[in-house]
Amino acid sequence: MSTTSTINLRVWLKIPDAEAATVKNTLIRRMGFADSLQDVKKERLFSIIVDSGDPEKLARSFARELVNENKESHKVLFDRLSFEEGYVPVKVALHIEDGEAVSTRDRLRNRLGFSNVVEVKKATVWKLYLKGENQEQVAKEIAEGLLINPHKDSYEIMGKTKMPA
Amino acid sequence: MKIIGLADQDVEANLRGAGIGMSVAEARSIAEILGRDPTLTELFCYDAMWSEHCSYKSSRATLKEFLPTEGPNVVMGPVEDSGIVAIDDQWCVVISHESHNHPSQILPNEGAATGIGGIVRDVNCMGATVVASADPLRFGDPYGPKASKVRWVAEGVVDGIWQYGNALGVPNMGGDIVFNESFDDNCLVNVVSIGIVRRDQIIRSRAPQGAGEKGYDVILVGKPTDSSGLGGVTFASEALRAEDEEANRGAVQIPDPFLKNVLFKANDDLFRLVRESGIVIGFKDLGGGGFTCATSEMGASGNYGMEINLDDMHKAADFPPEILSIAETQERFLIVSPPELRERILQIYNQHWDLPNVYEGARASVVGKINTGDRFRVTHKGVMVCDVPIQHLTGGIRYKREEKPRLRSLAEPVIEEPVDYNQTMLKILGSPNIASREHVYRYYDTEVMGNSVIRPGEADSGLIAPVRGEKFGVALAVDSNPFYGRISPYWAGATAVAEAMRNVAAIGAVPSTLTDCLNFGNPEKPEAFWEFREAVKGIADSCKKIWLKGYPNQPVPIVSGNVSFYNESPEGSVDPSPVVACVGIIKDVGKAVTQNLKAAGDRLFLIGPRFDELGGSEYYRTIFGVTGKNVPLVRFDLDRNMIYAVIEAIDQGLVAACHDISNGGLACTSAEMALVRPARLGFELDLDGAAEPGLRTDKVLFSESAGFLIEARQGCEEKLRAVLEGFSLEAMEVGRVTEARKMVVRRKGKALIDLDLDQARAVWTNGLAEAMR
Amino acid sequence: MKIAVMQFPGTNCEHETLVAVNAVGMKGEIFRWNRPAAELSGFDGFIVPGGFSYQDRVRAGAIASKEPVMDALREEAERGKPIIGICNGFQILVETGLLPGTGKIDMALAQNVMVSGGRVMRRGYYCDWVNLRHDALPKRCSGSFMIDKKAILQIPIAHGEGNLVTTTPGLVDRLKDEDQVVFRYCDPAGQVVNEFPVNVNGSTESIAGICNPEGNVLGMMPHPERAFFAWQLPAYDPRKARPDDPGPGRMVFESMKRFIEVRA
Repeated sequence: MSTTSTINLRVWLKIPDAEAATVKNTLIRRMGFADSLQDVKKERLFSIIVDSGDPEKLARSFARELVNENKESHKVLFDRLSFEEGYVPVKVALHIEDGEAVSTRDRLRNRLGFSNVVEVKKATVWKLYLKGENQEQVAKEIAEGLLINPHKDSYEIMGKTKMPA
Repeated sequence: MKIIGLADQDVEANLRGAGIGMSVAEARSIAEILGRDPTLTELFCYDAMWSEHCSYKSSRATLKEFLPTEGPNVVMGPVEDSGIVAIDDQWCVVISHESHNHPSQILPNEGAATGIGGIVRDVNCMGATVVASADPLRFGDPYGPKASKVRWVAEGVVDGIWQYGNALGVPNMGGDIVFNESFDDNCLVNVVSIGIVRRDQIIRSRAPQGAGEKGYDVILVGKPTDSSGLGGVTFASEALRAEDEEANRGAVQIPDPFLKNVLFKANDDLFRLVRESGIVIGFKDLGGGGFTCATSEMGASGNYGMEINLDDMHKAADFPPEILSIAETQERFLIVSPPELRERILQIYNQHWDLPNVYEGARASVVGKINTGDRFRVTHKGVMVCDVPIQHLTGGIRYKREEKPRLRSLAEPVIEEPVDYNQTMLKILGSPNIASREHVYRYYDTEVMGNSVIRPGEADSGLIAPVRGEKFGVALAVDSNPFYGRISPYWAGATAVAEAMRNVAAIGAVPSTLTDCLNFGNPEKPEAFWEFREAVKGIADSCKKIWLKGYPNQPVPIVSGNVSFYNESPEGSVDPSPVVACVGIIKDVGKAVTQNLKAAGDRLFLIGPRFDELGGSEYYRTIFGVTGKNVPLVRFDLDRNMIYAVIEAIDQGLVAACHDISNGGLACTSAEMALVRPARLGFELDLDGAAEPGLRTDKVLFSESAGFLIEARQGCEEKLRAVLEGFSLEAMEVGRVTEARKMVVRRKGKALIDLDLDQARAVWTNGLAEAMR
Repeated sequence: MKIAVMQFPGTNCEHETLVAVNAVGMKGEIFRWNRPAAELSGFDGFIVPGGFSYQDRVRAGAIASKEPVMDALREEAERGKPIIGICNGFQILVETGLLPGTGKIDMALAQNVMVSGGRVMRRGYYCDWVNLRHDALPKRCSGSFMIDKKAILQIPIAHGEGNLVTTTPGLVDRLKDEDQVVFRYCDPAGQVVNEFPVNVNGSTESIAGICNPEGNVLGMMPHPERAFFAWQLPAYDPRKARPDDPGPGRMVFESMKRFIEVRA
């Protein structure tokens, strides 16, 4: 039996995320979001498409390889992607070829022998803790103003529950 | 913690339950000195300070017994974080050499990055500008049963090195990489860093005179203290067990080159302030043992006591005092300075360089005071959590370890001479230990700072011109051959020193000082301790018998070093690996030579006779899969003469290219001179000029006996001969550089090797990339 | 002639860049990012040197481009003063919209991809000496003011993200038509070959450096300050035998100086 499924690994740092702190600092001190922005957090997102195998078991193996337990926590979601209340998740990914995603796929397939891995996609999810009105609009401004360079990145403001593309 | 009055097994249980690694006897001795049960914080502090890493409790006696640390050029021997030697009357080289083996096996990227992060702090805190680093690396067999893990470790380590070093902006001048199955479960990640400082601007890591009487401040600078490195020191001192790997991950520190980059610039302003005010301060980096180690050592070396208030420390969260005391949070420094400088120092870090906005929570904070007492006192939330005699805490302890020779059944193999030398040659050129290192060093920024004169791959050592307007250059090379170590730790130590010195001599630099990083197994096992002692003896003998150039009988001094024990897993320990780095000085960088062939028609000269000593050679291992027994010896008088002669010949401008003979023997040495960029010229070698008639051709070609291959500058051949004769050396003319892009080797008129340069180059440049794919 | 060498947290080439600036007879000063931006108007030219400003957080150049000093540099650029961005400095100028010079972000410097024969040989960070062909006319651009068209310069690169990509239709053609493509990677004979190792990072049409329409702002990935003296050259370069001679990168700084003199 061959069933394709997407294993989504949401990964975040247990220790302070210096990059998120810098983004927050820049948005507030340099870009005028002091009134609308409370906090910024960040996650790495791996979407691993497999064409066979037990997704639960595979997810555990992938997490072992891709998540650094010493400094990171993670959450697994199968065939869907959802986020918690309280922030606006902005997913940023390359629209040009993502070399790191290709390397990750090759590592899983070739070096670690997971031949059922079809594709790996990577993204960064910026979790914007906003206050006030028009949060979606503010998130859009932040994404376009800082989080992406449109010539290589695309972004998506994620709803509370998203089915895979 | 209750110790007094408890039975041994209960004390043991209490200690282990709290995560403290020290022995019951050690804990009891502390209680005895204090006259009471120690607090948890006190036990944590002692545990860190008395670890192998901080106290050298197993190794110190041996190091003291054998290693020469003094010399006419030594400004500071191995007493603080780095050693210092003079270049001339004004400038000095600062050097430090460390290992970060255990953390790198568990978390290769962070482990290797932290290795660089730590070593550059050691150099910087002497008041120096860090100008170069190099990484001697040892990984497992990339084609063995653990290939996947080995490659994961190798890739992560290289990534960690370039991501940290490049961002920091310190050029990587090379290092070396050796693969061998003894490193399957225990990689070695050593790191060497050098800096430049003016002799009158050296800053010491001790509380200055008067600090106690005047109540100097203790100022902590950098990243907010967290728990991320907790236990790192104890960790580095225990053999790795697979089942502990997850738990051990908690011991690895998280480095930050960006914050370090800014801290270094702020430190420069601190150094300037100190110079301009004419006030002496103490300055030290926080490394193994964390805050406790840095503060107590700073106080103790000035013969003072101190009071610390942990409430004044900037921290990432409200951690308990025992964690704040010994956590190994990266990117921190400690300053001991008079109160009149306080505001200006805080301003440098907190305003000018804006640390709080550069890294969340980072800053400079006054955390304590030096006093004239003899106690190390720490309070936390109004409670005295530590109150111990400072000299006792920092004095460490000593263990006398047993030694017993490790018996191995070694034998020379009976082998057939190759029928097809071309194939043999190609196989060796493509082996992971011989192939070009280009795949790795293209990741390293070898150019940043704009000081690079000779970069990785261009010669046997790297060379920088670190001070604009001065002509002198500083060369750096590292060496250690684990295959020799397996056969004889003594000769591995002796060869590491001689080879590192040959490497700097090959570009024309004069060996000035050495450092050692001694990587061995568990010293509580007599065989491992014997290996350690043998290697130290070998190192010492080479230092003493090759001498400092210009100072007969004066050993080349070892001014810095590190011992890394417990590099073993249940499958066994690593091959004895005394890694040696050599700093060389050349008066005029314009005179330095590289190894690439320069002009067709130039004649090639061999120095150093070939011997039947192929034990541990690339040839034995790669072609026959055996180690053998006859390890290359260091013939001290011969080696000294060769090194001096080569330096002299280069100084006189007689040499167009030079490469020393090591792994792969004369065959690989000559090949590398042709294969390295631009790879436009070939060569012909005639072994009739090279060898004892009785030595078989494969042994002539692949013996790793010490020597050099020199391309003489046209018209300088006779002068070269004269220089060599002046050192009682025979100049063996063995061939010439050719326009034809081929590598040809003949003996008795018969062509043995006849290889197209491009064909050989493809194999040679791919070997390492394949092994790390 | 005062030149500000900009310094952001994480910049790491400011000192060697300062050496180069001073060596050609300009007066350089390292300008820390949190100094009052208004002080920049007192300078005659600017260099944004290489390094990892803000550790390439978000992406290379993104955070530094939001600093007040960059707003000030935009104004100085409008006054026609020369600005040269080297490596990370180029990335910052792209992120501020100073290059290619339309005022908005018109391109990206993406991760290096080394492609040869249709195969990806390697990705990401790479340090090596490369050949650059000067494709603009002399006097077109501040940083290559004195360099002949088709001149070949040997200069090292050291970056992970230098691969010029754009989704703006016709941008590359426009840059070529307007003589804004200043440097391209080439082989030792000056031929542009869109394959690794000649095209060292996969950049569109092997572009290594561009200028704005006015020519006063130049961005380049290679590091001319690291090729300022002949002794810095690689072992295989015969010019290394005369170590005290000028290196190929010196012309970039000489050009900047001449550009300022001519403008004055």
